[in-house]
Amino acid sequence: MIDLTQVLLLAAMLFCISVAGIFINRKNIIILLMCIELMLLSVNMNFIAFAYFLNDIKGQIFVFFILTVAAAESAIGLAILSVLFRNRNTINVKDLDTMKG
Amino acid sequence: MIEQTVFYFFAGLLLLAATMVITVKNPVHAALSLVLAFFCSAAIWLLLQAEFLAIVLILVYVGAVMVLFLFVIMMLDINLTVLREGFSRFLPVGISVAVLMAVSMGLVITSGRFTTGGNYEALKHAADYSNTRELGIALFTDYLYPFEIAGAILLLAIVAAISLTLRKRPDTKTPKVEKQVAVHRAGHVRLVRMEAEKE
Amino acid sequence: MTLTTELALLAPEIALLIMTSIVLVVDSLYDNPDRVLTYKLSQLALIITTGLVLLQFPEVSTHIMSGHFVSDPMSAILKIVLGLMTLIVFFYSYDYLLEHELLKGEYFILMLFAVLGMQIMISANSLLTVYLGLELLSLALYAMVAMNRTSAVATEAAMKYFVLGALASGMLLYGISMLYGVSGTLELPALATYLGAQTEANLLLVFGLVFIVVGLAFKLGAVPFHMWVPDVYQGSPTSVTLFIGTAPKIAAFAMAIRLLADGLQPLAGDWQGMLIVLAVLSMAGGNLIAISQSNIKRMLAYSTIAHVGFLMLGLISANQTGYASAMFYVIVYTLMSMGSFGMVILLGRNGHEADNLDDFKGLAERSPWFAFIMLILMFSMAGVPPFIGFWAKWFVIKEVIAAGHLWVAALAVIFSVVGAYYYLRIVKLMFFDKPVQMTAIKSSQEMRMVLSLNGLAILILGFMPGFLMTLCIEAMGF
Repeated sequence: MIDLTQVLLLAAMLFCISVAGIFINRKNIIILLMCIELMLLSVNMNFIAFAYFLNDIKGQIFVFFILTVAAAESAIGLAILSVLFRNRNTINVKDLDTMKG
Repeated sequence: MIEQTVFYFFAGLLLLAATMVITVKNPVHAALSLVLAFFCSAAIWLLLQAEFLAIVLILVYVGAVMVLFLFVIMMLDINLTVLREGFSRFLPVGISVAVLMAVSMGLVITSGRFTTGGNYEALKHAADYSNTRELGIALFTDYLYPFEIAGAILLLAIVAAISLTLRKRPDTKTPKVEKQVAVHRAGHVRLVRMEAEKE
Repeated sequence: MTLTTELALLAPEIALLIMTSIVLVVDSLYDNPDRVLTYKLSQLALIITTGLVLLQFPEVSTHIMSGHFVSDPMSAILKIVLGLMTLIVFFYSYDYLLEHELLKGEYFILMLFAVLGMQIMISANSLLTVYLGLELLSLALYAMVAMNRTSAVATEAAMKYFVLGALASGMLLYGISMLYGVSGTLELPALATYLGAQTEANLLLVFGLVFIVVGLAFKLGAVPFHMWVPDVYQGSPTSVTLFIGTAPKIAAFAMAIRLLADGLQPLAGDWQGMLIVLAVLSMAGGNLIAISQSNIKRMLAYSTIAHVGFLMLGLISANQTGYASAMFYVIVYTLMSMGSFGMVILLGRNGHEADNLDDFKGLAERSPWFAFIMLILMFSMAGVPPFIGFWAKWFVIKEVIAAGHLWVAALAVIFSVVGAYYYLRIVKLMFFDKPVQMTAIKSSQEMRMVLSLNGLAILILGFMPGFLMTLCIEAMGF
């Protein structure tokens, strides 16, 4: 038998890896987008674990909606990314410093 | 026992894949690692009896979203060496933040009152139980309103993505269907009466 | 509750979605010059949805759609304010978009989707609908910021906004998952009932709460989660900044009330402390950094951060009058912010953005009337009596004192005095400096009229703040 704490710990570790990824790869936007996907994956893992251990469908419903929204979100994110690339020819965050103050 | 083994196998693989996503040099490799991470999660979700979502994660997420990612990576001609700048500089900060967070989150979760109450006992479903059916019934009754909102979000995403990326180039040659359909014999064929030629 | 009555209460949202789809179809199929038809239809959509809210103004709180949707006086008032604000935003932005060659049908369509998202947030009664409404709003805003595709600054701002916004959503979701795991429910009233029945403290709840407050602070733009605000305000086309700076603040306030008051009221003891820290940091950070700005859009961005701090002061007391004062603050703030960005739009012309402080130099010579309107706006923002901005600050500070946090109130007064400096500097530039250019202000008659009304409303409301306050107190259920 798997117990709830194990799954929650797994999700928490996944969450921490994604936060670390955001810190480490703050120059590379495409990896940043992937880190956000990882973060959502860890949240989904939490919901599914709770749904299983509470014998409750609501958690799975929530995951269903998160998946929908995440797909829409990555479509828009990648669209912005490609527009940005056309303008600047880079996806390096270091070069994104036109605005200061 | 076998469940434990399967869980630990996929959990370990998932963490490995996730670490690879944030550390490998090439964005294509990162995307493929992310696919592996999704695959392992789907396996764990199957263990947790979320069959429909596990399959959706593979079909929709890996099949569509990750392909979109790979498509964009390959379309943009990215200079790899520039992107690696600062990686080693931020690595210590990233690792320390992650470890700090992991330890505190771990402490909170293990101290939690999840294990005490009788609330957290998972039921094994019968063999004829259909996860898809139950989700479907809930979605179209109690969750009708959120379901409609999700539809609006998808419509918005279509409008936004198209308006951001669609460019009309004057030099592209596309067939104009309405003109093709509107073609009439009279406009294009001219009958010429010619005298028979005599040699 | 029968299906027809449920649908009747949902009518504003349904009508808006249908109208948005109609605008979408009309705009893509019917090639109207200057998008006049798209623009008029979008305005009609807003008028219809606001009218439908007005038609069935609720006296009591009703939960429909299996508990995902709530219709109460607060939601109705906020939706009416939201509809009117967006109508004026459309009004201000049309000429701007035309002049800057940014006019596209998608602009109005995305804005209508954003309004729909905000309406959903305002009426959200479950964690799920809060999240979905928030995403509908955010996704529309990301795309709107990037709308000016050829501008490197705009797309850069959009990318930053997107990454930080998505991160905030992730945080918020993690918190929501924890709350769900502990309570086993997604509905906010049920969550409050569950939390109220708990006798001993549960670390997991506080853990989830931290993530929720962080996500909320990101979306509100409170220090230290404010990094995106200045870049987005400066980088976006001014008409988009105008929108982002007004209507979403109302929605963010509604989201804070729904989550913290409707759902997590029993945990008030825990979130009050977090809000105090965020409020004080925002007031300090926003006001101090704003002083050194030379770009007026960026300056107003930091001023927004400071105002968000004041808004949070109203929430700290965690009681009905406190929430009412915060609601008063947010409505007044959006009115002032709309006027200020309206002035920036008014002064810009022929593709030139009047977003430097120098553009305001000697405005009194070029146009005494609009210098006067700007003076009202700046005095009100600074919190000088008798303008309405003063009353907004007065009510929230009174609530903080009533809640027993004297030192917070003292800090709030000090920082609003600091903030007065950069607002009054603009007044000085307008009245005592020589103009850099003497070109006449070119804008449509309607734009001038609405902007004047906007400014005068702030002056007149300042003499009768009781009216708006009564409305806010009623909204909070007295």
